Amino acid sequence: MGYMLRRFGFYLVAFWVSITLNFFLPRFMPGDPVSRMVARLQGQIRPDQIEALRESFGLSDAPLWEQYLRYLGQIFTGNLGFSISRFPTPVIDVISSVIGWTFLLGFVSLIIAVVIGNVLGILAAWRRGGVLDSFVPPLLIFIGSFPYFWLAMGLLYLFGVTLGWFPLRHAYEVGTAPEFSLAFVGDVAYHLILPATSIVLVSVGGWMLGMRNTMIATNAEDYIVMAEAKGLRANRVMMQYAARNALLPSVTAFGMSLGFVVGGALLTEVVFAYPGIGYTLLAAVQNLDYPLMQGLFLTITTAVLIANFLVDIVYVRLDPRVRVS
Amino acid sequence: MTVHRKAVLIAAAMAATAALALSGCSAGGGESADSLDGSQLLTIPREDMGTFDRNFNPFANPDFPMTQQAIFESMLVYNPADGSTTPWLATEWEVAPDSTGITYHLRDGVKWSDGEPFVADDVVVSFDLQREVRGGFDYIESVTAVDPHTVQFDFNQPFSPALLDIGQQVIAPAHVWADVDDPTKFANEEPVGTGPYTEVTSFQAQSFDLGKNPNYWQPEKQKIEGIRMLAFSGNDGANLAAANGDVDWAPQFIPNIDEAYVAKDPDNRFFWFPPTGSMINWQFNTTKAPFDDADVRKALSMAVDREQVTEIGMQGYTRPADCTGLTGSYDSWRDEAVVESCTWTARDLEGAGELLDEAGITLGEDGKRVLPDGTPFAFDFSVGSTSSDWVSVGNVIAQNLAELGVTVTVAAKDWGDVVAGYENGTFDSGIVWSANAPTPYQFYRGAMSTETVKPVGEQTFDNYHRYGNPEADALLAQFAAASDEAAQHEIMSRLQALFADTAPVAPLFPGPEWGAASNARFTGWPTEDDPYATLSTRARTTVLVLTSLEPVVAD
Repeated sequence: MGYMLRRFGFYLVAFWVSITLNFFLPRFMPGDPVSRMVARLQGQIRPDQIEALRESFGLSDAPLWEQYLRYLGQIFTGNLGFSISRFPTPVIDVISSVIGWTFLLGFVSLIIAVVIGNVLGILAAWRRGGVLDSFVPPLLIFIGSFPYFWLAMGLLYLFGVTLGWFPLRHAYEVGTAPEFSLAFVGDVAYHLILPATSIVLVSVGGWMLGMRNTMIATNAEDYIVMAEAKGLRANRVMMQYAARNALLPSVTAFGMSLGFVVGGALLTEVVFAYPGIGYTLLAAVQNLDYPLMQGLFLTITTAVLIANFLVDIVYVRLDPRVRVS
Repeated sequence: MTVHRKAVLIAAAMAATAALALSGCSAGGGESADSLDGSQLLTIPREDMGTFDRNFNPFANPDFPMTQQAIFESMLVYNPADGSTTPWLATEWEVAPDSTGITYHLRDGVKWSDGEPFVADDVVVSFDLQREVRGGFDYIESVTAVDPHTVQFDFNQPFSPALLDIGQQVIAPAHVWADVDDPTKFANEEPVGTGPYTEVTSFQAQSFDLGKNPNYWQPEKQKIEGIRMLAFSGNDGANLAAANGDVDWAPQFIPNIDEAYVAKDPDNRFFWFPPTGSMINWQFNTTKAPFDDADVRKALSMAVDREQVTEIGMQGYTRPADCTGLTGSYDSWRDEAVVESCTWTARDLEGAGELLDEAGITLGEDGKRVLPDGTPFAFDFSVGSTSSDWVSVGNVIAQNLAELGVTVTVAAKDWGDVVAGYENGTFDSGIVWSANAPTPYQFYRGAMSTETVKPVGEQTFDNYHRYGNPEADALLAQFAAASDEAAQHEIMSRLQALFADTAPVAPLFPGPEWGAASNARFTGWPTEDDPYATLSTRARTTVLVLTSLEPVVAD
């Protein structure tokens, strides 16, 4: 219990440091949002409209520490302000309208990559020197080293355009409305196949290699020899003894990756026109959209910290040594 | 074991070859087999937004797709492709003799999409809202509803360009907006407008549909069933959709458009890039010597091979500019006498060399020119790195100028950085857009009026090159006061002559208005032979296209 409280306290401090950085870092970037908007619209904004624009964005000339205190207050009341690059939509609405898709894409891809990668890693380490161990890790790393957008575009062109097996864009059939029906869920899954496959292909190699290496180290432990000597089935030893212990680093890595899922997959969204937060974040940074950047960084920070906190809790369940210490 | 491995290797190699070979096949029919029964939706891509947020506020969110084109309308529509003006929500107008006011007579029988009648009060409220939310229209003193179908504008100074400026402002309903607390933040999720497609039948982050306005004042022109906007995160997705035939209208920039788009269905697909965008100029910072010398500017302009610039840099999609600096929108204003008599937009290395010699910038031993104080004549050409076509233009110009002995370095950086340099006056030279209003008044004001000049270090959003000429001020004031068309043309000719004489910037080429479309599902598009509008989806003329298109019905 004391351990939990200590961890919680640590995370609160980390949270405060993050939101402070979230506030100051964007403001160190040169330029101002109005100037960037003028550059982006290239002559479509009339010069006499600039002043009113600046006012409506709520850009303040108050000293930085005053703005910082106001920012802290706004966070705790949940008021994230109005986005500048997507004016006048409130930041909460911008984020909430697409965060679901980002989370779906990221989470599904992550789970599949983790499961496949870890299972392959376990099997590869168990049968060292076999086909699985010799060919598959280098092959997967090789595939994963391709530039992501090249891989994604290749998949899109081969399976989408040429063969026509999968849809070319978006999260579901255009014109249909989301609903909780089997047909809609099937449609979403169908549209998810290519984008998720592209992400899985680039990341599964890393999971497999990590799990394999940890398993090889674990296989050398004495308790594995003991279990085999006791006459337990090979599969049981592999899963219940070796894999359980080798899983721990994977769990930590999984927690970290889970948090960053809400950062969005920019290149996936660009290639597959998948609705998500990645492109919004890029546009926010390019346009110096302080409120939206703050809101998005806050979301990512919170997600990462919560994911890590959950992983810490799960770790206590998985690894008795942590409970004791 | 070795045999087993070999078999695996061979199998893998065959699979890889098969995959590569398959991808070389031509794309199997991408056209979806939806029935062409006349109810198909006009599908248009939007490539710069990623996702849509439901906000149809025409004042605070004017760039949102179709808000100012299909939902809200203006009193008249000016078409830069042929210079014509179409009365729209107003049928007639009278300009006061000294250009200090205009009276517009509104069309009878127009209703808002919620059934309420369209009246003059709506126009009054719309201008109040526009000035409150975005500002502008500083020359308007008051807007009065004389009677339910007549609006009178009174100005605090003579301003003849006001006719089209005011006429193209979108009008919103007073009875809806009067109750709104904060018009800037109002989301207007269920918009009420006079336009042809106002009903939001479906709205998702990835796409939205607009259906017919049940009370539209031109019901016979609502031939298409509705509009469907698709969101993309960048040009690539939108270009793929266009190439595949999944959208009907492709208003974004498509590189290599003949092969990438038209060749896939040459019977139906076409493109048309009228030169009606804003004039793209090579501007020099006239606060830095030797750019303050008009002859130096002209010499640098004479070294540029504009044919090469448009062929190589812009892939032949536009044409070279002339000395008036006017784009294709202003063909009716162009003074041919000025065009013929002026020489500094045509390539002439010898003439350029002579002018530079006279200015004291002479050729050194190594073939490079030096300024009178002995330093080499070398400077930067600023351009945003994401605009690949303009970066090409910069490279062509750098090569052209090298032949004159002048060293131009293309400095391609982030657009935010480049524009910050322009705004503060710290740049050397660079490529820049210009004002693009219905009359050339704003263009010349931004190019050479002292009113738009701000000192270096003070942020400005107009006249980055900081050149001001009192003669131009006088002519612009005369133009603003002239209500007679003949007088306006005469003054505009004098402005063109002044521009040609002083060369404040070096006009390169008129920016093309990108646009491509397909006749496979809809016909009635504007073309080069029938330029009743442009193929832009963000212009005032878009509503002309929406009310002219007809769906194709397959038998």
